[in-house]
Amino acid sequence: MSSRVLPDFELLMPKDLGEGLQLLSRHGSDVAIMAGGTDVLVMMKANYRSPYVMSLAGIGGLDHLDWAPETGLRVGALTTVDQIEQSGAVKQHYRALWQAATLFATPQIRNSATVIGNLLRASPAGDCSCAVLALGGTVVLESVDGRREVAIDDFWLDYNLTARRPDEIAVELRLPPPGKGTGSAFRRLTRTHEDLAKLNASARLDVDGKICRTARLAMGCVGPTTQRLPKCEAILVGKAIDEALLKTLDDVIQSEIAPIDDKRSTAEYRRAVAGVLLRRTISQALAD
Amino acid sequence: MKKCEITLTVNGEQLTTMVAANQTLLEVLRENLGMTETKYGCGTGECGACTVLLDGTKPILSCLTLAAAMDGRHITTAAGLARDGQLHPVQQAFVDESGIQCGFCTPGMVMKTVGILARTPNPSDEEIRHGLEGNICRCTGYAKIVSSVKRAAELMADQSAAE
Repeated sequence: MSSRVLPDFELLMPKDLGEGLQLLSRHGSDVAIMAGGTDVLVMMKANYRSPYVMSLAGIGGLDHLDWAPETGLRVGALTTVDQIEQSGAVKQHYRALWQAATLFATPQIRNSATVIGNLLRASPAGDCSCAVLALGGTVVLESVDGRREVAIDDFWLDYNLTARRPDEIAVELRLPPPGKGTGSAFRRLTRTHEDLAKLNASARLDVDGKICRTARLAMGCVGPTTQRLPKCEAILVGKAIDEALLKTLDDVIQSEIAPIDDKRSTAEYRRAVAGVLLRRTISQALAD
Repeated sequence: MKKCEITLTVNGEQLTTMVAANQTLLEVLRENLGMTETKYGCGTGECGACTVLLDGTKPILSCLTLAAAMDGRHITTAAGLARDGQLHPVQQAFVDESGIQCGFCTPGMVMKTVGILARTPNPSDEEIRHGLEGNICRCTGYAKIVSSVKRAAELMADQSAAE
């Protein structure tokens, strides 16, 4: 397989969202939707084939990044990872997503790749995906029949499979506003800095005084999708988080993850370090 | 396959060319326009040899960019940096500091450096190394490239002080 040449396809370049949705209602499952192209084109240079590729590049008004204290953060379908990294509001209010964006791939990829594209790739190693799962929120999907919102918890159905129907465009990601005692963090393990994660983790904690009121913990590279860790979350809720409590997560997490051997790590290694990474991520979120 | 006409502004010059849907920006630069200063390395976004600047300051990978989606955009390649026969300070810095060995990664490194300095005019070593991620060099071991970026920052500061 040559990495030099892209296969043949018909390129669809809608000028507005309505035209794009019309095209999808007609060609639906034969269309690969492309925003930055950093996933779709790499996959097409390998073995992925699609009769149509639809570029969103010509559609205006999809690269927004809006923050308001009442409504939270709104991220458009063409908003790049670099825009996230450069945003003071994201750095201040959604630390986990900002940290994921700064560690994400390379500067060139960050200039093209989109946050929503990372969600749609539905890879368990997605860094922004892991942070978004911990932060919570919804993906807004639009078709000619209208809009619907899917909670991020229900968005990934399996490896490389999302709740998006073939006739829908994921137009926006919405993250809820943080509360007074909300902190979040993202960490990952890689061999070199620009590698895909061998393991990543993210946490969002709502702390009242010293007591953890809610906890959302996410981990990637330990199953077919990025996943929550509900048993570990339950241990934190209602308690003051200290070192002794965190140490108990090392055992609990073992029943929540199912890592595999692949070229980036062994399952054994991932199991050995999952608790450590989770503890460090939680501590970092508490310090946020 | 269906072709379409696009207009690119490359190094300040407006160029119109017919492109196929599956042509990357790198292929169009090298094959349609004969501008071979931008290099093909891995083709999959790992090595950075194909780095060009979008809108003057934003490094992107031309091997992972569809040319047809770039209609009307401004692209800068390594050949567009020199002015009136004078090397750009970033190019001069790579010469001065011996940041070049075989030279294959150099056009990408130089474009990336312009991007780093546009955002961080006086970068620390750590900022330089973080910024250079995504550009692979198999010769130098990077130390001389890092000093080239530092030197480039100095030269550009001198230049803007003189202006």
